[in-house]
Amino acid sequence: MEQEAVHSAAAGHEASSGFPPFDQIGAFGVSQIFWLIVTFAALYIAVAYVFLPKIRASIETRDGAIKSDVAKAAALSAKADESVKQVEAQIAEARARSRDTAAKAKAEADAKTAAATAAKEAELNARLGAAEARISENRAKAMSSVSAVAEDAAAAIAERLTGIKPAAAAVKSAVAGVMGG
Amino acid sequence: MMVSTDPMHQFKIGKLFDLKLGDLDISFTTSALWMVIGVLLVIGLLALATSKTTTVPSRLQSLAEIWYGFIAGIVKDVNHAPGKPFVPLVFSLFSFIFIANLIGMFPYFLTTTSHIVVTGFMALFTISLVIVVGVIKKGFGFLKIFVPSGVPFVLLLIVTPIEIISFLSRPISLGMRLFANMLGGHVALKVFAGFVPSLAVALGGIGMLMGGVLVMPLIVGVTALEFLVAFLQAYVFAMLTCVYLNDALGEAH
Repeated sequence: MEQEAVHSAAAGHEASSGFPPFDQIGAFGVSQIFWLIVTFAALYIAVAYVFLPKIRASIETRDGAIKSDVAKAAALSAKADESVKQVEAQIAEARARSRDTAAKAKAEADAKTAAATAAKEAELNARLGAAEARISENRAKAMSSVSAVAEDAAAAIAERLTGIKPAAAAVKSAVAGVMGG
Repeated sequence: MMVSTDPMHQFKIGKLFDLKLGDLDISFTTSALWMVIGVLLVIGLLALATSKTTTVPSRLQSLAEIWYGFIAGIVKDVNHAPGKPFVPLVFSLFSFIFIANLIGMFPYFLTTTSHIVVTGFMALFTISLVIVVGVIKKGFGFLKIFVPSGVPFVLLLIVTPIEIISFLSRPISLGMRLFANMLGGHVALKVFAGFVPSLAVALGGIGMLMGGVLVMPLIVGVTALEFLVAFLQAYVFAMLTCVYLNDALGEAH
């Protein structure tokens, strides 16, 4: 309001219903142009030499930072890809090695099993051979005792039937003749 | 009620103290005061915004960057690469006019851009700059802007005077547009606002009701529109400065 008072005091002598933008050109035109030049020049100098370079610099710094960060990220990503490839190669190698080891172990085990089987078989065969030998021996023994029993039985039958004790040699040859065919 | 209802009263410049430069009267007036305040506001805002620039900008820094990007964008779109040295000038013109227009939106604050002396001088300065830059860049060839290429000689006799008149009318239209917009908007606001007390005095209670219900919303709307005009006129001035500069910088048309 104080300023308003100054305002009306200064402009008081002029017609109140005039058109100030034109009426006052004579009174204040030069002053307006002078202060326009002074203030605008001050603004221009501040803007052109202080603030715009600062704003530009900060924008450029940001652009640079973004660019370098993106480049860094790309490099890191490439590195990561490479390590993934390395790991994959390592995994493939390990897999091949494990396959080898497994195959070898299997072959070894197979060989061992085969050897063991062969040994067992041989042992069993030996035992089988022995058993068979024993069996045939027993059979022979049994057969010989059968002929003795048959001779006794034949002698006893012949004695009961005829009342005469047959000669041992004759019984033997008769039994042998029936059995041996 | 001591408030004047004269819509022209708001444009009166008051003298604050006398100042002489030789024979020239350069008294410090309310107009000068608001120009100084406007420039200090812009410089203060920019100083705050750029005091600590960081990669991730603060709000104010972001504002300053958008502000700069807006102006640089206009210059780049209109003048392309040769316009780069003029970015600070267009930035200053836009900021100076915009802050002056905004200051004018406050009651009792003088709108410095509502004076033909100020806007006319800015327009003259812009056109003079175009001529100076044009003559420096193109020498005598700058005059070719008045002679469109590919036009028959007979037509040139008509077209060239038209081009010259069009060129000469630029500072008038440039200065007048800003001046008339600011003056007209403020007069309209004041006149509409004056309806409220007038209605109340003339019609009593009903008048008060009408003023409140009908006129006040209108004033609010016009005020909002004036804010748009404040920005738009600053933008138009900056844009036209670039367009006119293109005559001096760009290819002959």
